Amino acid sequence: MNLENRKYVIIAFILLVGFIYTSRLFYMQVVDDTWVLRAQEIAEKRKEIIPPRGVMFDRKGRKIVSNKTYYNLMMTEEKITHLDTVAFAKLIGWTPIMVRERFKEIVKGEGVYYNKSSGRHTSNYQKMRAYPFLKELTLDEITKILVHIANFPGFKEEVTSMRTYPYANGANILGYLNEANREDIESKEINADHFYRPGSNIGRSGIERFYEKELRGRKGIRYVVTSAMNNAIESYANGKYDTVAKQAIPLKLGMDIVMQAYGEKLMKGKKGCIVAIEPATGEIITMVSSPSYDPNLLVGRRNISLNYPKLARDKDIPLFPRPLQAEYPPGSIFKLVQSLIGMQEGVVSENAGFACIKSMVGCHNHPNATCIAEAVQYSCNPYFYQLVRKVIQQKVRKNLYADAEYGLNKWHRYMSSFGLGKELEVDITGQNGGLIPNSKYYDKWYGHHQWGFSTIRSISIGQGEIKLTPLQMANIAVIIANKGWYYSPHFVKSIGKKGPKANFRKKHKTLVESKYFAPVIEGMRRVVNESGGTAKSARLEDIIICGKTGTVQNPHGQDHSVFIAFAPRDNPKIAIAVFVENAGAGGAVAAPIASLMIEKYLKGKVTKEKESRLNKAEEPNIIH
Amino acid sequence: MRKNDALLSHLDWPLFIAFFSLLIFGMATVYSVAFNEEHPNIFAFSEKYGKQMLWLGVSLFLGLLIFLIDVDIYRKFAVPIYIFTLSLLVIVLFMPPINGARAWIGIGSMGIQPAEFAKISTALLLSKYISGLMIKHQTINTVLTGVGILMAPALLVALQPDAGTLVVFSSFLFVMYREGMTFDPIILKFVNRIPGINLKSTWVGNHFIPLLFIVVVLAVLTLIIGEVEFSFGFLPGIIIKGSTGIIITLAFLALLAYIYIRRFGTKRDRSSLTFIIIFGFIFMTSLSSSVSFVFSKLARHQKDRIEMVLGLKEDPNGKDYNRNRAMAAVGSGGAFGKGYKQASVSSVESNHVPESETDFIFCPFAEEWGFFGSVFLVFIYLFMLMRIVFIAERQRSSFNRIYAYCVAMILFYHFAINVGMNIGFVPVIGIPLPFFSYGGSSIMSFCIMMFLLLKLDSQRKDVLR
Repeated sequence: MNLENRKYVIIAFILLVGFIYTSRLFYMQVVDDTWVLRAQEIAEKRKEIIPPRGVMFDRKGRKIVSNKTYYNLMMTEEKITHLDTVAFAKLIGWTPIMVRERFKEIVKGEGVYYNKSSGRHTSNYQKMRAYPFLKELTLDEITKILVHIANFPGFKEEVTSMRTYPYANGANILGYLNEANREDIESKEINADHFYRPGSNIGRSGIERFYEKELRGRKGIRYVVTSAMNNAIESYANGKYDTVAKQAIPLKLGMDIVMQAYGEKLMKGKKGCIVAIEPATGEIITMVSSPSYDPNLLVGRRNISLNYPKLARDKDIPLFPRPLQAEYPPGSIFKLVQSLIGMQEGVVSENAGFACIKSMVGCHNHPNATCIAEAVQYSCNPYFYQLVRKVIQQKVRKNLYADAEYGLNKWHRYMSSFGLGKELEVDITGQNGGLIPNSKYYDKWYGHHQWGFSTIRSISIGQGEIKLTPLQMANIAVIIANKGWYYSPHFVKSIGKKGPKANFRKKHKTLVESKYFAPVIEGMRRVVNESGGTAKSARLEDIIICGKTGTVQNPHGQDHSVFIAFAPRDNPKIAIAVFVENAGAGGAVAAPIASLMIEKYLKGKVTKEKESRLNKAEEPNIIH
Repeated sequence: MRKNDALLSHLDWPLFIAFFSLLIFGMATVYSVAFNEEHPNIFAFSEKYGKQMLWLGVSLFLGLLIFLIDVDIYRKFAVPIYIFTLSLLVIVLFMPPINGARAWIGIGSMGIQPAEFAKISTALLLSKYISGLMIKHQTINTVLTGVGILMAPALLVALQPDAGTLVVFSSFLFVMYREGMTFDPIILKFVNRIPGINLKSTWVGNHFIPLLFIVVVLAVLTLIIGEVEFSFGFLPGIIIKGSTGIIITLAFLALLAYIYIRRFGTKRDRSSLTFIIIFGFIFMTSLSSSVSFVFSKLARHQKDRIEMVLGLKEDPNGKDYNRNRAMAAVGSGGAFGKGYKQASVSSVESNHVPESETDFIFCPFAEEWGFFGSVFLVFIYLFMLMRIVFIAERQRSSFNRIYAYCVAMILFYHFAINVGMNIGFVPVIGIPLPFFSYGGSSIMSFCIMMFLLLKLDSQRKDVLR
């Protein structure tokens, strides 16, 4: 072989390497973009600055939801040298085993992300990155650690902010935050804008959840070039892509935190609710769900993991927002709505009289009611049987059953216009709509044309199938106070200075004309202010309260006590519903509570004597 | 002085321009990667770029000296030069270690690495030795002497330890191959013992070196990228394993070679060349497959050890870390790069890629200039290597030719290993990128090597043998 030809072997090797390297460079730099992402992970840190969450003020301008600074103890594995586990564990008050476990947990769990190209969850744990070893420490706790931190290289502190509630009230309304979980983060709906990352907080219930977008503010994003030691070197592209973090504008609530606290105090030891609404605006002044809990118990991961299971297991279900989700038969307060429908339908006039026929349905001893006002005052059961029968059986159809179907559906439309049997547009997610049966409902139970008024008559007095939430009960008081209309009840009076959300500025009119309200209001006035009324205990000297008691029959135990009211009669400022489970007659417990709330709201203080009387009367009713 | 007047007119300008442009690009990259705002002046001697400028100046001065000195002395004094560097390599073993290797001779920060210069002296002596051989009459002794010349410094380098330079010494094998030195005498000695066989030469023996090279490279490549999964943006959902990719590439190359010989091969050669291609393809495919097979059958600790050597596994020295970072830096450059001084991963300040001004200097260049920049750089190197081969072949003196081939192969090795390291094809063995990497010894030795070549070439017509 000619040796000179061997140069071609050498040339071939050189060209082959050149060809392979060029292809490889083409693949790495042009085709495969995983390296770009990898480089971004390594060097172009997107530093997210999470602004403190928007704060909330109550209707009197008191800050009721605020933020407090907390500290995380961050760990950077690469910088840790010869960690004295025993000493470290002692410093943070753990056992060395716990420390080791936590290490493993971090290495395994932190920095897990979804790798698009492989479709797998990949751990992106990196030794040179800082991960929170301990989260949510108070200044006291971190200070104790920081004194000795120099002995433990690789650990440093980081500042975070968390919720704090200066008033320990309104937990079920305000809601709580929790760390966004993987579902939230991967959800295309919740995380459409990629706001949430592991470790970000998200509103889990109540206002925090409903107004999540309004409260979370705008994340600040700084693109920085970082060094291997994770120090920022310079801002990327001179800050061209950076955005400044901005805290959300505060929410102003219609809630009066003093009233809320007072309501919770009155309901202490009882199960039930108080809902108070300003009739003219629909703003919710107070919404007590009892028993409740201190919202500060559910601040931060540590507290949540400690307290949430306890609260969730509590047999009195403090996490259950009763005013929104508990559905009770309304009892006699329902008679108010029945009267209004009867008059509007023209089946009775305001002066209609019905005898109190106790064979029809049980009643207490009282004179026969000769008009609507008296019927309300005496809360006469037979009266409303007869009234509602006229509504249901209007004798429009020849067939008795077809007639009942026609009447019931008409009645259902009225109820619906009162916001009953459906969810109200309140600004908290997770409420129930109660139940107002229509013909279809009974058809399912009894069969088509198999039922008439006599079958379903217990709906007349708010028993039977009827179910209302306490919020709906309060809304009935609002409608009567307004003589026929309401704004959807809502918590947030104003988002910054923008006012409430648009749907809370829309007036809902009921199907009952305002002229029919006067006799009902007169009846309610008598209930509180006249002898023979069922809620004389609610009477105030100088303010005319109009109210209606209810005693809801409870097959499982003692009757529930319910009272709805508004005051003052002229130009009402507050409408209220009080529902106390297993507390007996409405006049005995619910009415005095409502009266105290009204007095406190309108006058700013209450007669001490009355308050103590209430407490005495209550004692036997304290839940066990 | 007539010779020196003729120097400029006889200088090989294409090579000179390629050489100088690499020096300039290299200097610019060192300046960019090690840039310190406090001392922005490129002559700031407290900074690496300042020192590099100094080294460049010294190198150019040495180049000038080389241009003035008569070429004959290198051939005449090849043996003393060789022995001198060899003794330096011995002395260096008694020096205090820096970064775990006894590679430096010198005081304070101004040290030199004799290993870098040993390449030149070895190249000179080998050129002298082979040019004096009767190539048609080789014995086991001639082969072993040739191998011995390169083995002596290589072993001393290995003791430092410096795996990278050790590997580079094997580049001389290619030169020996080109010059017709074969391992045939050794192979024949064994083969002819078999009764009934009495061969004069074997194909394997004649082409022993490139075959060995192919086997080693293919085996290493299979181990490194065999388990890596490649996905293509334009072929969504298709993931190719590295081992499959190697076979596809081999098939592609075989097809290319086949087309080539169909088109250009003479009729006489065609059938034997086709046979070689088919045989070669089968051989290489089965080699690659058996390497992955054997590797998969190894015990865990054996695998770990191999993976550690190849830099695939995280080890205390963090070779995997370097490699991974380097690849992220190169890959993130994209098609057009991030711009000069905009390297975010591989700047010295960020320190994500350790040694980014020396062994990993290809990273910042690729990150800053992207695919087009890095391919341009690859092309300059390829051009330079081809030009040196061209220059080698036009020499009248075999000493000159062999020396030129030595330079070509040393540069080729450095280029292939260094860039390969940066793009994840080659284990992380620290060797500098010629004319690019920061470092006095490497810059000086490569410049001396190149100036010698230019000088020899400029006087090629004066030399009669």
